[in-house]
Parts: sequence; C-alpha cells; structure tokens
Amino acid sequence: MILTRGLALAAALVAAAPAIAQDVPAVERTLANGMRLVMVERHEQPTIAFAWLARVGSANERPGMTGMAHLFEHMMFKGTKTIGTRDARRDAELNGQQDEVQVRIREEMSVLREKQRRGEIADMMDPKARTPRLQEALDEFDRLVKEQRELIVKDEMDKIYTQAGGTGLNASTSEDRTNYIVSLPSNKLELWFWLESDRLANPVFREFYSERDVILEERRQTLESRPSGVVDEAFNAMTWIASPYHWEVIGWSSDISQVTREQANQFFATYYAPNNITAILVGDFSADAAYALAEKYFGRIPANPKGVPEVITLEPRQPAEQRMVAEVETLPSLQVVWKTAAAVHNDAPALQALAGILGGTPMFMGRPGGPGGMRPPSGRLHKALVLDQKVATNASASFSGMKMGGTFGFRVTPTPGKSPGELEPVLYAEIDKVVKDGVTDEELQRFKNATLVGLYGRLETNTGIRETLTQFLTVGTVQDFKDSLARTQAVTREDVQRVARQYLVKEGRNVLLTSRKEGKR
Amino acid sequence: MIRRATLTILLGVATAFAQDIPDRPEKLQFAPIKFETPRARDYKVKLTNGIPAFVAQNGKEGTPLVRVTVSWRGGSYLDPKDKEGLAGLFGSQLTQGGTAKLEAAKLEDRLESLAATLTSSCTDTSCSVSLQVLDKDLAEGLDLLRQALTQPAFAQERLDLAKRQGRQRIGRRNDEVTSIANYQMKHLLFGDKHFASADDTRDSLEAITRDDLLAFHARLLHPANLFVAASGRFDRKAMVDALNRTVGTIKAGPVARVSPSVPAPDFPRTPGIYVTDKDAPQAMVRWAFPGIRRTDPDWHAAFVTNQILGGRGFTSRLMKKIRSDEGLTYGVYSTLEPGTYWRGDVTGSMQTKNRSVAYAMRLALEEIRKLKEQPVSDDELRVNKDGIIEAFPSQWATKQAVANRFSDEAREGWPEDWWASYREKIQAVTAADVQRMARKLSDTDRMVILAVGKASEIEAGDTDHPGALEDVAPLPLKRVPLRDPATLEPMP
Repeated sequence: MILTRGLALAAALVAAAPAIAQDVPAVERTLANGMRLVMVERHEQPTIAFAWLARVGSANERPGMTGMAHLFEHMMFKGTKTIGTRDARRDAELNGQQDEVQVRIREEMSVLREKQRRGEIADMMDPKARTPRLQEALDEFDRLVKEQRELIVKDEMDKIYTQAGGTGLNASTSEDRTNYIVSLPSNKLELWFWLESDRLANPVFREFYSERDVILEERRQTLESRPSGVVDEAFNAMTWIASPYHWEVIGWSSDISQVTREQANQFFATYYAPNNITAILVGDFSADAAYALAEKYFGRIPANPKGVPEVITLEPRQPAEQRMVAEVETLPSLQVVWKTAAAVHNDAPALQALAGILGGTPMFMGRPGGPGGMRPPSGRLHKALVLDQKVATNASASFSGMKMGGTFGFRVTPTPGKSPGELEPVLYAEIDKVVKDGVTDEELQRFKNATLVGLYGRLETNTGIRETLTQFLTVGTVQDFKDSLARTQAVTREDVQRVARQYLVKEGRNVLLTSRKEGKR
Repeated sequence: MIRRATLTILLGVATAFAQDIPDRPEKLQFAPIKFETPRARDYKVKLTNGIPAFVAQNGKEGTPLVRVTVSWRGGSYLDPKDKEGLAGLFGSQLTQGGTAKLEAAKLEDRLESLAATLTSSCTDTSCSVSLQVLDKDLAEGLDLLRQALTQPAFAQERLDLAKRQGRQRIGRRNDEVTSIANYQMKHLLFGDKHFASADDTRDSLEAITRDDLLAFHARLLHPANLFVAASGRFDRKAMVDALNRTVGTIKAGPVARVSPSVPAPDFPRTPGIYVTDKDAPQAMVRWAFPGIRRTDPDWHAAFVTNQILGGRGFTSRLMKKIRSDEGLTYGVYSTLEPGTYWRGDVTGSMQTKNRSVAYAMRLALEEIRKLKEQPVSDDELRVNKDGIIEAFPSQWATKQAVANRFSDEAREGWPEDWWASYREKIQAVTAADVQRMARKLSDTDRMVILAVGKASEIEAGDTDHPGALEDVAPLPLKRVPLRDPATLEPMP
C-alpha cells in the first residue's frame, strides 16, 4: 500500500475528538413494570425533546392484518377516557353500536369478496358494487358516527400540546418500532407525563373506522401516487421472501380497510405494555425529577406478564438472482439490492463503510441503518459512472440495517440515451474491483472522518440526540449507541473487502430495471 | 452512594403522590419561563467592506462544527429571457465547478480530506454558499469558501453534467400530480410573463453557456448584495477577523451591480375552478386567495387567523373537518405566504381521491365561510395565541437558526427589531380581528382553485356526497391542459 499525500491530510479525527457518543450523558433507568427511560440532560435551551417508542412495527404483523402497527399509530391520537370526549359513557356505547354495525358490514364485504373472486364484480370497494344491505348498514353507521361526533372533543391532545407551546407532535411507524414524539418548553415536563401515560393507561380508539379511510388516503398519497410507488412495493416484496419485511409498513389495501377494533384491542394489550416501551427525554430537566414523575405516572400501568412474542420467521438464504423489469412513468433507473445483515450485526459497520466508499458518505450519518439523504459527491461510483464514464447522472449506494436484517443497495440513473441494462455490468465491475483489490486506507479514513462529523451534526440539538437514540434503541441498546463510533473506527480494509465478497454475490442479487412508460393523460 | 439515597427519597415521594394525579391536565401548575428575544444587533458585525455579518457562537454543549453561509440578493428573478434556469445552474455550479486555483475534483478532494462540505444554491430571490467545517480547519475552509465565492471556474464538464441532470428533471415535470399542480398554479396566479412562473425549458437550459455563468457572477459579486451568517464553535473575535480576511476583502468589480429590487407581478388573474386531466389514483387540490404584505399592521392578526383555519395541523379547523371527521385526506393545510416582496397569497392544499375532490373542497369553503360569519370562541383563540407565544423560544433553539434568520431578514430588508414586540402583538389579536381578517383574506369571488387528477371523476364528484365540482363555488369551471414538460407550452 503506497501512502499517498492525501493520507497524511485525512488524519484520523477521532484521536482529536474521542468518543463523542460517550460525551452524551445518557442515563438509563427502568421502572418496576419494565418500562425503560433514557434521559439526557442539556440545559442551554429551555426545551425538552420527548419520545417513547413501542417495540412493535410491521414485522410483528401477519397477512390479513398488515398495516395494523401503523393504524395503531393513528389511533393513539384519538383520545382516552378523559381526553377527546364530553361524555365517556355514551361515547363507549356508541363505539359498541358501531362495532355491531361493522359486523354486518364485514358480512356483506365477504359476499362482495366472493363475487370479486368469481369475477362477477371488478372491485369490491367500488360504491356501485354495494349490496342494498351493505348500503343500509353504511348509512346506519354514518348516523352513529355523526351522533358520536357531537360528543368528541376533536384532536384534543393536539390542542393541549399546542396551547402549551408544543412543537413537532407526531408519530411514525417502521418495520420494527412505533415512535411518539413532541417537544415542549421545559416547564411542561409533567404535562408530557400526564398525557402520554394517560394514552397508554386509558386509551379509547375513537373514530376507528373512519381513520381507516385516512390511512387509505395516506397510502394513495405516499405510495400509489408516486410514479414508482407500487413497483417499489412489489420489488420489496420480491426481495424479502419469507421475512415480514415482505410487506410495506402501511400494509396492503385489502387489509387496511377490513381491520376490526377487536384485533386492535388485542394488539394493544400485547405490544403496548410498559415492558415493551422505552421513553427518551433530551433537554432541560433533572433526570431524578423525571424519574420520580415516571414512577408516578407510568408506574401505574401494569406490565404484560406474558411478554412480547418474538418475530420467528428468518429470511432464508436467497438461492437465485431475482429480477423485475418494470415500466414506470418517470426516469429510467437501475436498482440492485442484496439482503445483508441486521443493524447491530458485527458486519454492519463494514457494510456501512462499503456503502460510504462506493456511494459517497452522506452528510448526516452515524446512525445504524440510515440511508442518509444528502447528495454524495465523493463516492467511487459517482467518480467512475457519472464523472469519468459519463454513463449515469446519479449513482448511490446504501446500507440499511433493520432489527432482523438489512439490505445493501445501489441506485443508478442512466444518462440520457443509456438504458439501465447497459449500466448493470458497469456497476458490477466497480463491485468486482473492491472484491479483488479492496479499498484504500485513504478512502476508509475519509469515511470514518465523515461519519464522525455526521455524528456531530446529529448530536447538536435535543431533537437530533433524540432521533439518534431512537435509531439505536429500535435495533439495540444505549450501549450500542455508545460503542458505535468505536466500532466504525475499528473497521479495517480487510473487513470491507470481506463483506463485499461475502454479501454481494450473484445469487443474492435483486435487480429492478425500470424504463419510462409514456404518460396516459 | 449519595445518588442512590436521593433516588430512594424521591421514590418515596412519588409513591405518596401516586394517587394524586389530577383528573385533567389543565389542573397541573407550571412555573413560568423567561425567554429574552434574541436581538439582531447583539450578533451583527459590519465587515471592513460593509457586508453585515451575524455571528453566533455555541455554548459549551455545542460540537466542534462551524458553519458559515454567505448569501446574496439576486436569484432567478434576474434570469434573462430565453435563458431561464441561469440562476439555478449558477447556484449549483458555484461550488461544483472548481475555482481558478483548484479544479473541481481537487476542490472536492480537499473538502473530503477535511470532512467538510461546501454547497451552494439559488432560489427566486437569493443565492447562497454554505460551509460546514471542523473548528480546527476553519482557516482552510474559509479560504475554499472565498475561492468559490470570488473565483469560481464553472468547469465546462461539470456544467454539461448539470445540464444533463437538468434535462432529466425537466422530463419529470408531468410524472406526478404535485409537480403538475406546482407549475399550473404559478401560471394561473402570475401569468406567463413574471419570473415566478418562468421555469427553465429544454431550450433555455441548452442556451446557457459558461460565459453566462461568469457574467452572472461578475454582476452579482458586489459587497452591497452580500450577507454573512456564522455559527458554531469559535472565538467571536477570531471569527470576525477571519471573515474580514476573506469575505471582508471582496470589492465590487467593474461590472458588478447592486441587485435591482424584486418586481411584483401585475397579472390580472382570472378567478375560477380549474382542472387538469392526469391519470392518477389521487388528485392534488390547491387554492389561493390574495394575501397581505408582512409589513402590513394586520400581519399578526392574519397569522393567527390562518393558524385557526389551517396553519396549525390538527388544531386547525380544516384538518379537523376534512381529515379527522371525514377521512378524506391525509393532510390539508392553509399557508399565509410571507409577502416579502409583494402581497403574497393565502394558499391551501390537500390530496384526496379523485371523486372526493368536490366534497372536500366544499367542506373547506364551508370552514372558511364559518370563520367569516361567526366570531371565533375565546378558547380557540387562546389556544392558538398561546401556542404561538409558548413555542416562540423553540424557533431560536440553535445558534445556526439565530444567525441564519437575522442574516436572511437583513437580506430581505426586514426591520431588525421586528421580533422584539412579536409576542405582544400576537397576544393583542382579538376575535374581532380574526373575523375581519377572515373576511379580508378569503374573498371567494377572487379565488383560484386547481385540481389535478382524473378530470372526469373530479368533475362528477362522489355518489355518497351529492354535488359536482361546478357546484362548489359560483366560479367558472375550466379545464387547463397539461404543458409540454420540455417547452412549458400548453399541450393540444
């Protein structure tokens, strides 16, 4: 290995800035009911960034109820016995009556499903296909909803947080976790404990059925309306054969529209018990005071003594290359994806380094599994395919580590006049170079330095620290967060070459070639 | 273990209180927070050539990063006719095309070896170059920034790549309802002559040369156009000295010009309900009412009014009605545009399945009508005002946000003390103000509504909710064709 001038310049930054993750004073405590708290005190700004995450996501679903974890995320904003209604008793009665009508609706939907199966109707969701009995039930249901609406205090939780100066009230669902966040002025610490423990202790899934419609609109907006949305969904389903990562977090349309409140109750009892939940607080508060409040508010919620069922299905080793050829109404592109290793796997840091060296190091990294968002100007692929050979206008690589597995992928946009198929051998040639000759010390050091700087960028704000902790706690522990930088710094050139050789094999490829379909008007 | 002892005592206290959880969150008591509004003059420094710099150093919790942004007055409003896209290319190529001393690949190599980033871009009315660098490398980072700023090379090869990427971006214009709605709305609101709707075309992009970029640069690089924001870990005096040695040495060249003021549009827009046909599972709906300038004394009342209507997510009326009650959309929003250079618009947007457009739009107009006809309740007004006031400190949560805000506002010609009385002015807004603003800012006769999606389904409406699109408002209904993505001419 010849030492280049550049090597001397790209000195190891970590020596100058040791162990930044350990400088984030994360305190971890556990309540008697098993709920965990991770707290970071920072006193320069009078705000606190809050999160709690339930270790449940789409990977905990099964066919027929896909999308349930995400539906839950929506339901958790619908109130409690106290929040969200003017008359809890009548509200509960109306929920019961709605459930009864929904039983009739489901019976009629079964009739329609059978007709669709036999080809007698094209789409069971089409209003024109409804049976008279179904229309009658839908009308009755509408009446019950309207009556309930008179009692509902609409989005009351949002209102209370808003008035208290809350910002960023939101939630998100991934394959592996559901996360509930808000930021508040620091004097409102107890308000967070009040509202969040209330929605775990006393939830009421109001507006359950109409919320399914919101989610169908969400699916249309975030997936189906994107020109490549349904193709991406199919490609992901092709890539993951047995794993529950096979379906998208939002779920299949057929399932979303038929979920029942009974299924939801069971889901909540299993996965939203405190022993499956971790809270994260970052900002201007005292950890001792917060712990005392946690005991007072969350401590009243009983644990689920049975614990949470594990995800059992493991993705089998892919025996053969899989290919999908699609026409979409957008730019042609080439994607190649391999299933690799989970976010906390010993090989994950080397896979991350391989992605950084080939695809460029995105500006904000340092989290496990994060694909990064910024333009990577510096990767080998950009230099070779975009700048030198001019066969592409964009070329990126990413390692995406999840809890039970991960992917390594490339995405290339051909230059006008080139087809995605022509780029495939060019891409494989770049991988072969790593497999045969490895990477340079300079490339590896630059990756490590960029990762450190990326981590600085993420640890500057309360919300950035919260997001980083959330990423690690989704797939691992606080210790994984504290060790992450050291693990990245420990990666060797041999590690990078080995993971390229081991994971990026021919039979493991999943290839998506898309060409432009001309617009349908 | 003192820590353990403390914990035990606290636990004892907590157990004693366990039954004392109040039955409503309103019963909790909160100590007040005192927050002093940051003042621009505390951060402002004049560099030796007169450029204002806003310098905000980190406290001890910060990381060793430093960020410096230099921004200009000037942007695509200065694009010459038939060279639309010039400012956009200039913005990206300023840092991607190398400098007189360092060719593009060498500049990128230096940045990578420092783990630094140097990026640039232009909007309609401004351009900027931003550096992020570790504090130990500040001197070299600033030198690279200075080179890009004062001696960009605009390498032909990189320009050619950017044009190829630009052609692909242009080719995607009709792929999604959202991007179609963007350009259609601009043409409906500003006509075809104003810069706000003058996007690049295949030919205009092709016509732009390296000489055009050099000339654009020579024209813009005038100290009177420039503003600086610096934040992160540094000694303030050392930072000011470093800025003076770099940005502070810039002098106006022979062809440099102070950027002219931004021209307001004078297009007589035609109110109406417009539909563009595009085969898609969900339609994009946009609307606009004429708004107000941010200098208007009614600005704060208008802001609160918009929050109540649709600017504050789930606490707003539109979201409660159209999403929470009816399940018709994933999100519906109303925005009071800043009105920086001319009276902006109050715009709305939502996506809903094609057949729901008419009903959802009817519900939106119904909410607007209610806000005009009935005074807002004390409770709703208080929630929204308190929300703005209580969340005020979070707007200033990082030194980067403080420095950039003051620098941006200086560039826009904004009064430096505008924020000093902000919370008091929000607090002073009354229910009568809100009703007055609702009337002023939602004149349905001057409204433009646009829906992009499957036109026949959009126009017919939903069988579950009678009413076709033409019944939504007493405005003419008109189809507007898609535009050719390459030329932006309406397609036959």
